[in-house]
Amino acid sequence: MTRIPGLRARSPVAGLHRRTLRPLGVFAQSVATTAPAGAMASTPLLVIAVAGRGAPWSFAVAAVLVGLVAACIAVFARRMAAAGGLYSFTAKGLGAGGAYACAVAMVVGYGLLVAAAFSGVSWYGGALVARLLPGVGAVGAGVALVVVLAVTVAVCAVRGVRLAGRVMLVIEAASIGLILVVLVALAVTTAPTGVPAGVPAGTGVGAVGVGSVAVGVLPALAAFIGFDSAATLGVEARRPYASVPRAIGATAAVTAVLYLVATLVLLAAPGAAASGVTSPPTGDLSWASVLMDAGIVASFGACALAALNTLVRVLFSLAREGLAPAALGRTHRRHLTPAVAVGVTVPVLAAVVVVGTLAGITPEAVFGGLLSVGTLAFLAAYLLVCVAAPRFLARIGELTRGVVVTAVLASVALAATAVVVVLHAGTGLVVTLAALVVVGAGGWLLLRRLRGPALRAMGVYDETTTADVLAVRAR
Amino acid sequence: MTSVTSGSISGRQPQAVRSALAILEEVAAAGVGITAKEISTALRIPPATTYRLLNLLVAEEYLVRLPDLGGFALGRRSANLAPSSVAAPTAARQVMRRLRERVRWGAHLVAFDRHRLTFLDPDPDHPPTDADELSRHPHASGLGRLLLAEHGLPDGPLTRLTPRTVVDRDELAGRLDEVRATGLARQCGEFHATLGCLAVAVRAPDDGRLVAGLALTGPAERVAAPNTELVDLLHTHAGDLAPLLA
Repeated sequence: MTRIPGLRARSPVAGLHRRTLRPLGVFAQSVATTAPAGAMASTPLLVIAVAGRGAPWSFAVAAVLVGLVAACIAVFARRMAAAGGLYSFTAKGLGAGGAYACAVAMVVGYGLLVAAAFSGVSWYGGALVARLLPGVGAVGAGVALVVVLAVTVAVCAVRGVRLAGRVMLVIEAASIGLILVVLVALAVTTAPTGVPAGVPAGTGVGAVGVGSVAVGVLPALAAFIGFDSAATLGVEARRPYASVPRAIGATAAVTAVLYLVATLVLLAAPGAAASGVTSPPTGDLSWASVLMDAGIVASFGACALAALNTLVRVLFSLAREGLAPAALGRTHRRHLTPAVAVGVTVPVLAAVVVVGTLAGITPEAVFGGLLSVGTLAFLAAYLLVCVAAPRFLARIGELTRGVVVTAVLASVALAATAVVVVLHAGTGLVVTLAALVVVGAGGWLLLRRLRGPALRAMGVYDETTTADVLAVRAR
Repeated sequence: MTSVTSGSISGRQPQAVRSALAILEEVAAAGVGITAKEISTALRIPPATTYRLLNLLVAEEYLVRLPDLGGFALGRRSANLAPSSVAAPTAARQVMRRLRERVRWGAHLVAFDRHRLTFLDPDPDHPPTDADELSRHPHASGLGRLLLAEHGLPDGPLTRLTPRTVVDRDELAGRLDEVRATGLARQCGEFHATLGCLAVAVRAPDDGRLVAGLALTGPAERVAAPNTELVDLLHTHAGDLAPLLA
């Protein structure tokens, strides 16, 4: 065996269950993080509320944008396998500054997504339990559900991504099936009424304006967040350079189709849309409502598990870089998962939701607040990775015109969306964002002083080791 | 996405297959570290096509990207295309015959090919365990521990083959430290309950890299004894083998 300079004998992210996860498990991770069932039931109503008849176009525009982002992520995912996902990718294109910003955005985004999934379960699940068992209070039931869910996802996450993948796939398939059945039933029972009387007037129903379509793009985009999460399974996937980019692209495509179908059905069934934006559509079908709520709760449960899988891998990767406490980089002896990171994050995130709910904030408000900040964090991470893609390719000498066009289009659209959101944000959101930026910048200054070399060398990934190379001779 | 995924390659595109094979050959000929641009120039394949084919070959693990992400090398899977024939030189076989005349235990010589074991000269009177089986569970055999002492603990879980197999990672790390300190890997009843082995490394005389392993296998309880003479015998024969194998 020839020794090749620059090649290590051991991967810097050793300790995870390397190269074992099948393509279906990788796909399940990305699909579950986007929680298509929950998003199908709620997002189309939000988009219809602002875009009216233009809602399908809003979803189409959002889907194209997500496709462009997926292409930029694939540029990296075909060339490197990382536990840190997008931030490890960004490091190879934008260096430490971009990577740090992306890491902060991912930790905030995925952390809030886990918390939002918890609060989604508390909201829909609490209401469902209260409806089925009249004596039980919705708030109490919601809190109890969050605690049960937190323990369950923590155990699944530690047991390993293979088990977690199987659980998520079954749940997601079942809940998407349930919701499709209910939506079709709604369309069949309420469509013949004709005039869409239920949709609020003045929202542009009937006339598809460019402006209303544009306004609908942001909530539509929010339904896709998390589709990139398979990127953090790069170390564990069996053939990461094939399965990870494929999983990300397929997730974007499948969810886009599901959202379009849901939107078209809801537009054709005005009774469903009339039942409001913040509660699931019921029509006259009480059985359908129960089924749909059950599907949504399950979908949020799977989302919590999937987002947690991603969050702990990002923290694990940061710890291995020396930028987070080293304990977070420790893996479970037998299951080979970032168990310490699971143990630290789950109680904190569950506590946020439980305390918020017990303090009297409505579950809707908790859910909405967490998601609106989370969505912006995801947009920031996507923007950074899109900007990084062409620079990375230029650095390794593999730049093509197609990638430049893709990255420029995606970056401009994402930046424009982010600017629009911030300009229209309420005071609470602006203050939260400002606080996050200040904390992030403070962290940067602190790390630069304490861990300067580690910060500059940011971007560890599952490098090729001596074991992977059939060494003939070094040049 | 346009340039990267839209052009899937089917069996009706012989040119793509030809180009992929040419790329493999180019990487093999140029050695470790050739870049995509250099391959594209050398083979006169358009850059976008070259990048797409390279990504495919990397995804299938015939090629690997080096840590700088710009350079390429042949991946381990390429070895399947041309299996190397392994046989010990006659002089090395004579050393093994001399060793077998002096001990009653099975004496085996294996080559270390990256993380795999291949028998160069197994003892015909004491057939050894299958080489693939040994390569799969390096933590439980003496020869495997020589390899682990060199490259570090495996990433995957450690299988318990017998009640005595060391599966605790810290304990195994301690054993590997001993191997590095003494140059001897000892295992008693951890692979097969009744057997044990003593193994020493055969290292290249010039740069000291691990090329082969020499092992004696015998009853577990006898392997556990100090066996000072046997160990010395192993070390001398390993020294004799080194210039013949490296």
